[in-house]
Amino acid sequence: MPPLTALWIKDSRAMSNLRRILRQESVFKLIFILAFAMGLMGGFFVLFLDAFRFLSGLGGVSFLITRRLFSFFYLGLGGMLALSNIVTTYSTLFRSRETSFLLTAPVDIRSLVTYKYLESTLLSSWAFLFLIIPFTAAYTWHEHLGLLFAVWTAAFALPFVLLCGGIGTLLALVAVRWAPRGRLFRWLAVACLLAIAIRPLLQFRPVSLQDQASFVLNRLLPGLQAASHPMAPNQWTAEGILSLTGGEYARGAMFWLTLVGNMLLLSLAIQWLGTRTFFSAWQRVTGEGSATRRPPELLGWLEPALRFLPHDIRGMILKDIRAFLRDPLQWSQALIFFGLLAIYFGSFRTFRYDELPDIWRNLIVFLNIFSVASVICSLASRFVFPQLSLEGHSFWILGLAPTGMRRILMTKFLLAATAILLVSTTLMALATWMLQVGPGLKAISIGVAITISISVSALSTGLGAIFLDLKQPNPVAIISGFGGTMNLALSLGLMLASIIPLASSGIGTFKAESRTTPLSRGTSRPQSGFCSSP
Amino acid sequence: MIHVQALDKSYGTVHAVRNLSFDVPAGELFCFLGPNGAGKTTTIKMLTGLLRPDRGVIRIGGYDIATDPVAAKTLMGYIPDMPFLYEKLTPVEFLKFIADLYNIKEASTRRRIDDSLQSFGLGEARTSLIGDLSHGMRQRLLYIATFLHNPRVVFIDEPLIGLDPHSIRMIKDLLRQKVRDGMTILLTTHILALAEEIADRIGIISNGSLIALGHMNELRAQAGLEGRLEDIFLKLTTDEAGLSSPGGARRMTAPNI
Repeated sequence: MPPLTALWIKDSRAMSNLRRILRQESVFKLIFILAFAMGLMGGFFVLFLDAFRFLSGLGGVSFLITRRLFSFFYLGLGGMLALSNIVTTYSTLFRSRETSFLLTAPVDIRSLVTYKYLESTLLSSWAFLFLIIPFTAAYTWHEHLGLLFAVWTAAFALPFVLLCGGIGTLLALVAVRWAPRGRLFRWLAVACLLAIAIRPLLQFRPVSLQDQASFVLNRLLPGLQAASHPMAPNQWTAEGILSLTGGEYARGAMFWLTLVGNMLLLSLAIQWLGTRTFFSAWQRVTGEGSATRRPPELLGWLEPALRFLPHDIRGMILKDIRAFLRDPLQWSQALIFFGLLAIYFGSFRTFRYDELPDIWRNLIVFLNIFSVASVICSLASRFVFPQLSLEGHSFWILGLAPTGMRRILMTKFLLAATAILLVSTTLMALATWMLQVGPGLKAISIGVAITISISVSALSTGLGAIFLDLKQPNPVAIISGFGGTMNLALSLGLMLASIIPLASSGIGTFKAESRTTPLSRGTSRPQSGFCSSP
Repeated sequence: MIHVQALDKSYGTVHAVRNLSFDVPAGELFCFLGPNGAGKTTTIKMLTGLLRPDRGVIRIGGYDIATDPVAAKTLMGYIPDMPFLYEKLTPVEFLKFIADLYNIKEASTRRRIDDSLQSFGLGEARTSLIGDLSHGMRQRLLYIATFLHNPRVVFIDEPLIGLDPHSIRMIKDLLRQKVRDGMTILLTTHILALAEEIADRIGIISNGSLIALGHMNELRAQAGLEGRLEDIFLKLTTDEAGLSSPGGARRMTAPNI
């Protein structure tokens, strides 16, 4: 039997066992997880629907913006998929124990690489599904489209996911095989990332404004136009779906075939490159542990700096920091997190939010509080909740140590809260500075960030202890269980409960005042100067 | 059946295996011994195709592992010291997967799986998930999986980890039986009594080099000792490490910790 078929049969058996396990789980657990998933998608649906309604309110230009927004949306999803698949390919292909197992079986490298490419793409695409379903549903609802729109979206989504995931796999193969090693390269990479993150903060190009409407659209459209490059897969996907929906079947089919053709070509490239480079790359990864000469102590300077702490707490903190920094799976995900945040903050200056009228800027400040709080919840769910479970088989060392469980838990909380406070207050200070808000609003924003950071860190540490899973070494598996889902749901609930009372007054004022602002009036009719721009 | 010639492997500045050469004929149980860090696991990983040697040739059943890996792997089985098993499969499903990978005929698979599970005492566990099995049960399942396709060569890294006395006896008998049937087995272990009991020939590796090879009598002659394998091993590896004192092999004493 061909290895790929055998592996596919094995996976389908594992899936059917998973269904069996789910049937044995408590009904409450299943209902809770399902309700959370549906609630999340419902929330996205409402947000997307609101966005489409807002665009409709802009009048004639909404057609142009919507078309480009589709392309921009798929660009974002594609970028997210490719980035995510770099990390997932690294863990499933190069760090998985299954790879070692399959390499001792009569499985050829081509089949192994193909299997792992498909597996990592599938694992990376769940977030895509969570966004594309409500997006499609909202557009269908808003435009009164039939079921066909969903069918066309599904037909394009599969090759699009495989294409973008494939880009991530290809980049991972190249990086693991050829990326230079050594401290100098690492520092250079960090410096490049910092430069990319800081660049938008330093850029400042004054713009002359005719009115607020042309300002927003003139800032928005070039960004959207950049996402609509005719050679980009996101553009083929967006154009293809909209063409088929509009009855232009030949044009839609052309885009679909272009997408599928490129996806197949990329799959061949992955197989070709994988067959030639995988084994050498794998040797590099598996041999690096023996070849690397490390200092006996990582961050040795930190130990004297933490002398003021009790010895057991200091020991646990140092151990956790060192273990985190030595685990590429952990810090690479943190790096991607911060990379996305850098893009987010870069957009403040790119779109010149700081030059908007006060009413718009205040709204963006509230939305920013919401964004930073969401980041805190995500960070806590991903890194704080599983930290106790990740002690794994070495938990007995802590358990037998002459220190109480209360102190262990307190140490985990202190470390998590400190790290998250550092991130959240920096983010909030940066955002309020870039938006040039007044000191009062700045103080409120930073105060909210501090409160949510401490409470969410405490919640995640506590729930991590209640839903302890010492058998599971994979942090993603730990957070996707019942405990992890409950932690995310409660964190988001806590966040909303903290922000909504604060934000509702601001948004109410905005809605009342924005009815009379030039932007809403100005954009409700097509503007000749804007429409003639590309 | 196993041909190793001038094998070399380095990790950076660490020379793990140096100019290693030996042959293991069909129907022999060969024990590969050595102190921690001597290069045993590196050698076994190169023999199974998991590591690429810097230099040298490895042939399994006549197939070069570097140029014809799939053909070589079809002939062999491997039991690592820390094995991987699919936690979300039942033992039957896992064994069927192995049968698919090694292209074992469908008709004989079911019967062989049933017989093996019964004889290894896993009949009751056939519907459990592997993730729910005890360590010893997983180890026994691994033996069934490894022998399912009737490999001609089997590599075993520490064969008795986590097994109870009954299972240890069963595994020892099984290995001897398989060798009598013509299978070639290369195993590494730190349990010297096991090597002495079941091995046809023994190779001792130290600092990446093969320092002794042969039957028990040949090793005794080489070490100049008439004792058990433990004494011979300690003498040879201590001499090789340059730790010998004028009074004879230096004995390690219990550390004062």
